[in-house]
Amino acid sequence: MLTYILRRLALALSVILATLVSAFLLFFAGPSDPAQAMCPETRCNPQRLQQITQSIGLDKPLSVQFLEYFKGLFVGRDFLYAGDTVHCGAPCLGFSFVTRRSVNDELFTRFPNTVVLALMAAVVFVTVGVTLGIIAAVRRGSATDRGLVGASQVLGSIPYYVLALLVALYPVILWNVLPQYSAISAGVGPYFLGMLAPALILGFVTSASYVRYTRNSMIETLSMDYIRTARSKGINERTVLFKHGFRAAMSPIATILGLDIAALLTGTLITEQIFGVDGIGRRGLAALKAFDLPVIMGTVLIGAVVVVVMNLVVDIAYSFIDPRVRLS
Amino acid sequence: MPEPSATTLTEVSEEKSPTSAPEHQDVRTGRSPGQVAWARLKRDKVAIICAVIILFFIVVAIFAPLLVSLEAVDPITKVKADVGTVHTELVDFNGLPTVGASSAHWLGVEPRLGRDLFARWAYGARPSLIIGFVAAFASTVIGVTLGLVAGYLGGVADKIISWIIDFFLSLPILLLVLAIIPIMQKRLAAGGDLSAEETSTIRFWVLIVILVVFGWMGLARLVRGEVKSLREREFVQAARAIGVPTRSILFREILPNLVGPIIVSASIAVPAYITYEATLSYLGAGLVEPTASWGRTIADAQNLFATYPLWLWPSVIGLSLLVLALSLLGDSIRDAFDPTSRR
Repeated sequence: MLTYILRRLALALSVILATLVSAFLLFFAGPSDPAQAMCPETRCNPQRLQQITQSIGLDKPLSVQFLEYFKGLFVGRDFLYAGDTVHCGAPCLGFSFVTRRSVNDELFTRFPNTVVLALMAAVVFVTVGVTLGIIAAVRRGSATDRGLVGASQVLGSIPYYVLALLVALYPVILWNVLPQYSAISAGVGPYFLGMLAPALILGFVTSASYVRYTRNSMIETLSMDYIRTARSKGINERTVLFKHGFRAAMSPIATILGLDIAALLTGTLITEQIFGVDGIGRRGLAALKAFDLPVIMGTVLIGAVVVVVMNLVVDIAYSFIDPRVRLS
Repeated sequence: MPEPSATTLTEVSEEKSPTSAPEHQDVRTGRSPGQVAWARLKRDKVAIICAVIILFFIVVAIFAPLLVSLEAVDPITKVKADVGTVHTELVDFNGLPTVGASSAHWLGVEPRLGRDLFARWAYGARPSLIIGFVAAFASTVIGVTLGLVAGYLGGVADKIISWIIDFFLSLPILLLVLAIIPIMQKRLAAGGDLSAEETSTIRFWVLIVILVVFGWMGLARLVRGEVKSLREREFVQAARAIGVPTRSILFREILPNLVGPIIVSASIAVPAYITYEATLSYLGAGLVEPTASWGRTIADAQNLFATYPLWLWPSVIGLSLLVLALSLLGDSIRDAFDPTSRR
């Protein structure tokens, strides 16, 4: 068990490191010139350009730049801006080329918005998906079952961003049925109400696959011998379904849930962009358009860490949830 | 929208029950899994409806110039509409079109630029379909090859390929793709002034390459797992024992056993790539002007969605319907190949 965890940990670390190196190579060795992006158009002269290039260390060899960035992640580093030394504590992601603010501030203040959106969506798709999946499994073969499976297939097949966009355009903007997003500073009530539209559409679309997972898992579990035994002992159907069936059927769902939440934390980008939610996905997208390399690096890094850590947690947790995995 | 409703789906599940499965008349004429799947697919009403819809879009894409030439001559510009020509005389000073849907412009004209919207729509089917099928084909070839190598050779090759698969699967792919596309574009288009058409063509192929680079892992993992179990089977051992070269074992002995999962995976990949392209185009990293693309049109049209819905909706319906039909057909193909799928 311990060697398994250690091996997984080593894999996780190697993936994060590789992401870091490849992202660094791509962006910092890319053809765009960050110094040019930082240089104000009206007052840009070669001298100033060189000054900026030096202050962000772009004149140094790539390997040195990478080592500095890498070091900054663990022990922090100092930046020289217009004569002043600015300290950036670990984990230091550098400074935005465009806004000149610390990337840590830029991203970590926005991350909670992404988390709230992802968790609200998760509440929706778990409750809706699992409930409907159980109903479909219990009424297997009935019109309800076919309707649910068919509807989930159709919902899951239409491009997500089109659905989200239509929800954002019609109920939210045109008809004002659902409130628009507002920052937390405008009050907790409006904030959560504004999150409702993006969380609902994200949740409903994701729930489509949960209906199918839950249904299949439930059907498989309900065909087990111990369920027949429980029934033949005369235990009432409700107890059989929930105590014997549901609990066993949920362990594969729990795995997928962990991975999906990880995917949502990095993948709410489209939802954030369409509904104007101020999360890290939207910030990353804005950074992409402005070629703001440190922010892009930071977003990619946070995304990779979240996915890798969640993968690890899920793998290890799974062996505890399901005793059969631990034995093997 | 005239999609296959839940009721049509249900009729299919009826047909797939074991009792109605085609029986073998003669034990001696065995049928391959592919033949069985094909027979099941032909009886699947959803699959047929989806195939018809997909065929419709393929016809539209191929005959787009012909369809556009069916539009009447415009009374104001005195010419027939085509896909690229800008007609600012058809829009007012706010950029809103002065002409509605007519025999000259079946779907009206584009705000601001005055291009014919039907032509944009018909030509817009092309990049979606080409990207979907080309990317699905290429990523299938790569995924199968790497999966075969990893699963059959084992050892170091397997370790390396598995690590690469894990690595790619843990990347925040959407974000990386969004970031890489403009960088690659700049690299390829560096030096020399390119026309808008050339830039657009470069972007088109960059998009396909990127989609393939980030899209082969699922199938590779699947093939690897299957090959790992197949290589221990008797017929492979027998082939090895009589000295069949590795290449022949891989492609003649093992690969035919994987036709089902590969076809299923490829058929599910096509709508996924089309969705990806449209999403990237919407987020501004996909196709660029002047290539007509549904994703781009949706992005452009969303600002005027309330005043000019005719701009937004044809592309929304085209894209949704095409992807829906391809996905449901993929689901049907999967069910047809899966002997245990009985709803």
